[in-house]
Amino acid sequence: MVWMRRLLFVAVLSCGLGVPGSVVGQDEPVSSTCYLDGWGDSLLCYRISVGADANAIELSVTVAPAVNDAGREPLYLLAGGPGQAASDLAPLLNAFRRINRERDIVMVDRRGAGLSAAFRCGFEREMPADLQSFSRQLAQCYLRRPQFAEALSSRQAVEDLERVRKTLGHHRIALWGGSWGTRTALLYQQWYPEALSALVLDAVAPIDTKVFLTATAAERAMQRLERDCARDAICAGFGDWRSELDQLLANWSGERAAQFPDPVTGVRGAQPVPRWVLANSIRTALYDPAAAAQLPYAVHQASRGNYLPLSGISGLFLNTTDSMAMGLTFSVACAEELNRITADEVAADSTGSFLGSAFFDLFYSGCQAWPVSAKPYSAPEERAHPVLLISGEADPITPPDYAERQLVYLSNKQHLIVPGGGHINSGRGCIPDLIARFLNAPQDSLDQGCVAEIRRPPFMVDAFGPALGKGVGVERQGGQR
Amino acid sequence: MISVESVDKQFAGRQVLNACSFTVPDGKITALLGANGAGKTTCLRIMTGLLRADAGRVLLGGVDVARQPMVARRQLGVVGDREGLYERLTVAEYLSLFARIQGLAGVDLKRALQAVREELELDDLWLRRTRGFSQGERMKVSLARALVHRPQHLILDEPTRGLDVLAARLLRRTLLRLRAQGTTILFSSHVMSEVSELSDRVLVMAGGRIVGGGSPDELIQKSGCDNLEDSFVALAYGAATDRRTQEEPA
Amino acid sequence: MAVANIFSGQMAALLRKEFLEAWRDRRALWMAICFSLLFPVLLAGSTIFFVKKHTEETTRLALLGGDSVPVLEQQLRGASLEVDVVAQGEPRALLADGYDLVLQVGEDFVEGYRNFRAPKLYLYVDSSSTSSGRAERHLQERLGSLQQLIVSQRLTARGVAPQLLAPWQLQVRDISTPSSRGALILAMVPGLLILTLFVASLATSVDTSAGERERLSLETLLLQPLPGWQLIVAKTLAVASMGWLGALLAIAALVTLMPLMPLAELGIQQATTVSGVITMGLLLLPLALLVAVVQILLALRSQSFKDAQTQLSILQLAPVTLLMVLDMSRVELGEPFWQLVPLVGQQQWLKGLLVGDTVSLPLVVAGSLVCLMLVGVSVAVGARALRRESLLGAV
Repeated sequence: MVWMRRLLFVAVLSCGLGVPGSVVGQDEPVSSTCYLDGWGDSLLCYRISVGADANAIELSVTVAPAVNDAGREPLYLLAGGPGQAASDLAPLLNAFRRINRERDIVMVDRRGAGLSAAFRCGFEREMPADLQSFSRQLAQCYLRRPQFAEALSSRQAVEDLERVRKTLGHHRIALWGGSWGTRTALLYQQWYPEALSALVLDAVAPIDTKVFLTATAAERAMQRLERDCARDAICAGFGDWRSELDQLLANWSGERAAQFPDPVTGVRGAQPVPRWVLANSIRTALYDPAAAAQLPYAVHQASRGNYLPLSGISGLFLNTTDSMAMGLTFSVACAEELNRITADEVAADSTGSFLGSAFFDLFYSGCQAWPVSAKPYSAPEERAHPVLLISGEADPITPPDYAERQLVYLSNKQHLIVPGGGHINSGRGCIPDLIARFLNAPQDSLDQGCVAEIRRPPFMVDAFGPALGKGVGVERQGGQR
Repeated sequence: MISVESVDKQFAGRQVLNACSFTVPDGKITALLGANGAGKTTCLRIMTGLLRADAGRVLLGGVDVARQPMVARRQLGVVGDREGLYERLTVAEYLSLFARIQGLAGVDLKRALQAVREELELDDLWLRRTRGFSQGERMKVSLARALVHRPQHLILDEPTRGLDVLAARLLRRTLLRLRAQGTTILFSSHVMSEVSELSDRVLVMAGGRIVGGGSPDELIQKSGCDNLEDSFVALAYGAATDRRTQEEPA
Repeated sequence: MAVANIFSGQMAALLRKEFLEAWRDRRALWMAICFSLLFPVLLAGSTIFFVKKHTEETTRLALLGGDSVPVLEQQLRGASLEVDVVAQGEPRALLADGYDLVLQVGEDFVEGYRNFRAPKLYLYVDSSSTSSGRAERHLQERLGSLQQLIVSQRLTARGVAPQLLAPWQLQVRDISTPSSRGALILAMVPGLLILTLFVASLATSVDTSAGERERLSLETLLLQPLPGWQLIVAKTLAVASMGWLGALLAIAALVTLMPLMPLAELGIQQATTVSGVITMGLLLLPLALLVAVVQILLALRSQSFKDAQTQLSILQLAPVTLLMVLDMSRVELGEPFWQLVPLVGQQQWLKGLLVGDTVSLPLVVAGSLVCLMLVGVSVAVGARALRRESLLGAV
């Protein structure tokens, strides 16, 4: 079940590290040398006790020490999900090398995620084939630790973060948030403004935005893809592939579901792919421009009965091992998002989209089995911190609109919009350099010229891959050279 | 008094000093006369303790130079053959160095320096570095260095070489004054005029031993010559050929 | 009491003389200063140049026949790779014309690519040019990622998850630290600091021994009521002061220049601390003494001033060569025993301090004591040498 593993995509690799146990004193935190997958250099790991009684756990805090400690405030990375762990963001350190030269980069695995007592509910071992079994397994998981589930929240994550900041002795910190991590960062900004120097938010989920209503956003991302394909001389050759996609989803049948080949084993119909799974799988492909670039061809082929390319695209996301701690995901999503979404809103969001309510339904039924209390936010107050916003123009879950329209309470912000970009763009093109420059001089406005040079990867046009030659002729994007 | 007692010295198998014996009395100026290669410098170096004798001994005021070199050197002043100064030190620094090495300090040191400064007319040179000094100036500084600790014994190796008239006169005056103070003075030379003018006694050295001795007049008499130079030639070169049995005069 | 006074007065006078002579020797002083500053400046300069060359320079690529493959051209172009499409031309002439690389695309390239015939690309390179390695790397990076993209698309088109091509993931875990990585650049510094000791004290040691003998002033000194060892000690201290000054100057210059070196861009932490610098200076002192006394002994043995200079010039190469050979042959010097060996010990301590490692104080003390013991033995040997009659050239 590919889609399940990509609920909210952040650049992740799983983390297989054993942290040597070390005692943390009250004043002087003790660290040990450790590693995270995706980053070759050694790191410092801390364990910091949080919670009480049965809910007491040791928080995993990993620090990539600055090459030269110039006394600049550290950058904390906040992961998405909710349910992903900051330690999974280690590969991002490659892009943030320049930032890391003078700043510590701190990765705090929030409670219930990653190395901080991940609340996984066993889904990483086996994913049920249908929604009913999924809900059932979720319900059992909830009943095992209802108090723990109830306690997990953004408030708790922010308090833990603050605790870590104080324990590590950091006076002020900068935050990088990715996807759902931007929500945590924005809440931290609300609650602890004096401890914050600057914010970098990639794929922004504003406090007031109902990000689990994804159908309209996904539809818009699909339309951007259509537009860019139409502008590409060779991709345009696929004609109206978009209608073919709608047809495909509309006419998806049990028979076709059973025909869908498994991208790993090549076996057909071992696990039938229902319509809503297929729609989610296509939505997931939009997260990553490299996968999206293969959609027109794959859809074109599927409408002619060849499901292999579509299956191959779903296989692109297998490589990222399951890192989502579902218990944490549902605790936060149900308490802070699902309970504030009405049926009317769902209907309005789904209408006219290829996705419909296929994504929302999963969470809706999950939350039925996960009865945590609602934890609404108060309205955000004005903040003047320097904020750098980064959006992918064709992001299927946090489109640029969110950052553009729903952060009016932030008075000092800059917005980078990556053309054709998907979900999370911090590692692409000149973005890491811009982030480094922003952190060093957060009040200066950035020269964004280089952002326009980031392009979609070439479209797949045939079984041989992208067209390298002219063929009919290829349109050049942007004003490069 | 300095007494040299049957000193032998060989260099690479060549006998340079051969049972060389003589004494240098106190309060007198004694000249050591010899042709080049006669063994003068070697003899003087053994007397100062720079070289060790193969046999025999040297007593400096009763102190065996080889056995108690430190004691001997405290009562010895030496002005070497072509000796080098420290070009990067001033005369004052130079003399102060040696005075202090000889153990002078405080008021004594000041007094000693002032004394040689006046005696050897060093005022003009006092604060100059010794680089580029003339031969006469160098001799004055060397002499001052040898005298600064008022040694009982003074040994000078060819002191008048290259000196101008004024410097030579100053040297002469100084030696005469020292003699009057009872200092034991031995100098080597091959310039007959200054030997005859300065020395109370002359020792003639040839073939690594003393071949004649006495006052200049005595020498002239003994050798039956008209002047010291002829006497020296007769004694030295005669000795080198056949007068090997000449007695060493006391 | 009186004896002690005389002794200290003598030694003080002697020391004053040797130091005045050493430090008033302009030529020797300049030689020491120049050499001491030379290598830190060279090291800093070459590091800055190296990093600049590797991070800032872009590669110019001529894509010969590139008008038929616009997507290839577009995908190759990047921050470090400047691509010019050249319709016609001779690769050799293009390379001579200022291009770092020429990539030739055959006429039937597109046709071959579409038909999975793995058409050939011809890369012309002048490997005798200094920039060729970097240029090739730049191209390989771009070409490699494009190749990966195409392979991935081809697999997808056939319904194959790309992870099937990766039976495992190799995760590299580098146990070096940002400071220990400094060893890459700073590895030669201890050897050069030690060489500085030798070079800076060379002129003074020759001057104070063979020079003093040749200027006929040694004899006068030997006639003084001074034990030989005092002479050797005074000379050693003066000579060592010059060598030590040189080494201290070199350390100071190095530490001053370090912030100018783009070490952070190489992932290297500047780990030398103030106390580390002071320790470096202190632990070089016994070695400076040993170098000085050995130089004096050799110079005293030599036939003449010139001869002494030649001998010592060879001597100063010996330890540095030795250290380099030990380094290159990867002889394991980790045993604490090695830190007791002069030169080897100092090299290891300096290396440790430069990269911010801790050095074992007992071993430093022990190694320094061994060094000082050797100084003592050498002084004794030198005192004996002063009594040698052949020392006085005149005989």
